[in-house]
Amino acid sequence: MPKLKTLLATSALTMAGVLAVASAASAQTVLRFWDNQQTESGLSKFQQEAVKRFEEENPDIKVEVTTIPYPEYQQRLLTAVQAGNGPDVSTVDQIWNAAFAEAGAIVAVDDLVAGSSISPEDFFPGAWESVTYQGKTWGVPFNVDVWFFAFVNKALFEEAGIDPASITTWEGLEAAAPALTDPANGRFAIGLTGNKSEYPVVMTNSMIYSNGGVVLDENGKCALTSPEAIEALEYYKRMTQYAPSGILNAANEQMRELFLNGTLAIELWPALEQPALDSSNIDWDLYAGFAPEGKTPVGTFGGWNLVVYESSPNKEAAWKFIEFMTREDVNGDVVDLIPANVKAASAFLEENRRKPDVILEHLNNAKPRPLSPQYLQVSEIQQNMVQQMLSGTPVEEAAAAACEAIDNL
Amino acid sequence: MWMAYGFMMPAAILVAVLMYWPMIATVRESLFTTSFINPKPQFVGLKVYADIFSDPVFWQVVRNSIVWTLGVVLLQNVLGFFIALLLNQHLPGQGILRSLILLPWVLPGVVAAILWRFMYDPQLGLINSFVLRFGLADRGIAWLADPSIAMAAVIFVAFWKGFPFSTVIFLAALQNVDQEQIEAAKVDGAGPVRRLFDVIIPAIIPVAVVNFLLTTILTFNYFDIIYVLTRGGPLNSTAIFPTQIYEIGFGQFRFGEAAAYGTLSVVILVMIVAVFMLIRRPLLSHREV
Repeated sequence: MPKLKTLLATSALTMAGVLAVASAASAQTVLRFWDNQQTESGLSKFQQEAVKRFEEENPDIKVEVTTIPYPEYQQRLLTAVQAGNGPDVSTVDQIWNAAFAEAGAIVAVDDLVAGSSISPEDFFPGAWESVTYQGKTWGVPFNVDVWFFAFVNKALFEEAGIDPASITTWEGLEAAAPALTDPANGRFAIGLTGNKSEYPVVMTNSMIYSNGGVVLDENGKCALTSPEAIEALEYYKRMTQYAPSGILNAANEQMRELFLNGTLAIELWPALEQPALDSSNIDWDLYAGFAPEGKTPVGTFGGWNLVVYESSPNKEAAWKFIEFMTREDVNGDVVDLIPANVKAASAFLEENRRKPDVILEHLNNAKPRPLSPQYLQVSEIQQNMVQQMLSGTPVEEAAAAACEAIDNL
Repeated sequence: MWMAYGFMMPAAILVAVLMYWPMIATVRESLFTTSFINPKPQFVGLKVYADIFSDPVFWQVVRNSIVWTLGVVLLQNVLGFFIALLLNQHLPGQGILRSLILLPWVLPGVVAAILWRFMYDPQLGLINSFVLRFGLADRGIAWLADPSIAMAAVIFVAFWKGFPFSTVIFLAALQNVDQEQIEAAKVDGAGPVRRLFDVIIPAIIPVAVVNFLLTTILTFNYFDIIYVLTRGGPLNSTAIFPTQIYEIGFGQFRFGEAAAYGTLSVVILVMIVAVFMLIRRPLLSHREV
């Protein structure tokens, strides 16, 4: 009988232990985080390490990270969100942010920001602007880059007897371009694009911003027919005579190949290009784009924001995770562009990039693309406009047609 | 009888759920203003279709789809047939030749398209290096950037990728042609050309019809090659239904319009197939006479 009592007591204790463990496990919040990978930087490994750190700091939250290759990300995220199977928290491209907000897929985080350690001043101004829509804040900038750094091949400049620093103005670049262009010998001054993609939009936007123009005005109306925009588009069109032929199907990747094989004197790329150039045998330098004499080059922002989904049952945990991922001591470890947190970016650039001051200044001046929920249609119209103007349609006519289409959306 | 229906049920349910329901849902979606930013869509009837019909891009897509399909199907089947004729001769190294000819077909579409994008590159492409070496042009031709030749360039890639499929089918058909009929024609004094037109081609017509039909449907719905090479550009000169549907649906989140494009693409494909079936009937009846 005592044996039976001992056995019963032991069983009861074991059961209690099992139940306690099970109960603790069920109390743990499982947070689903989706991100994409744009470069071969081994990002997922670093993210997993950061996630471990987050889980140690927040033992009641377990994070499931899903990293999706960049080309598939948009389709998979959109399908999942549309079907109601989206993650709790994810990165979204800056250009999708307003659409996700308008669709009611993500939550406004103004109250959460107000009660947290996150402050808009901690981030690049243009990056913070990209999370705002209709007076509310819809996420937190995660990583950024500017698609308007001019990387130069110093050997080609030396051969042509041109000072690379002269290309930082429109006038200087236009004066230098003929000497840097020799199609018969496979040499071109600058890599420009005009294919059906976001690249020509980003490039022409940078030209427009650098000339003091905008794509959409403060009322959301198309401003591509403004004198500043027309002048910028005319300049872009004029410069294509110094770019490799086949502009209407020219993609950024092709321009990159041409720069890496010594065909191009200047390529326009984000700062993330530096590691690739460092591993090449090109003697290169970089400048913060170019602007008309007396004006400051203003590049177009690219990058990703962290958002919390309306459908998430774990919004509080999701916000904790965002606070963690954008923290100064974490942000630099978990992004494959440049951290959106200015202090983290500064440390990251000092350690990993040449000319960190030039990059920081360019990031501080950069502007996002139009914050419209119909941005993707605006972009499509701009792509058509660029193709029209590069295939012979007068710039003013192409811009007027684009504005009519944009204002009719 | 009932047992037969019972056995068919699982397959029938699968087909209904996986094929017919999505098709019906697509047609239904095309009657609503569905987009990502408008998750509570409104019924607008045929308005989406009316808007599409009034858009010149739609008619450009229709023209492009027909030119693309006809171009690829004719080229790949005609060349496929002649290569099958060659491979049907008892040539030395025939086995290796048959394997080599299959290579383009074995390559995934995206890989083939990337390969050809390099070949067509105006500055670095292999094709332009020949063009320049033989003095056919004074600078590299922008094959994929010139709206007047971009469609021909993408058709050529699809034809290169697809002709082995037609070759294999034609080869199988040629090997089943009754040798006694060929011998009899020879005895009657028929030369090779006469034998080809009066014996071989009539014998393989049923297979040729199936081959044309299959390649028409596959080509009309082909996505990878054009998307990788041009994304439908320049100036929509290579935009066909699958690339346009993807751009509108996933590129711009306009699901209702993408669904309408999808529905219209099925209607146009059915019309092409119907014309094809009408042509097929006299061909087959002629053979039977």
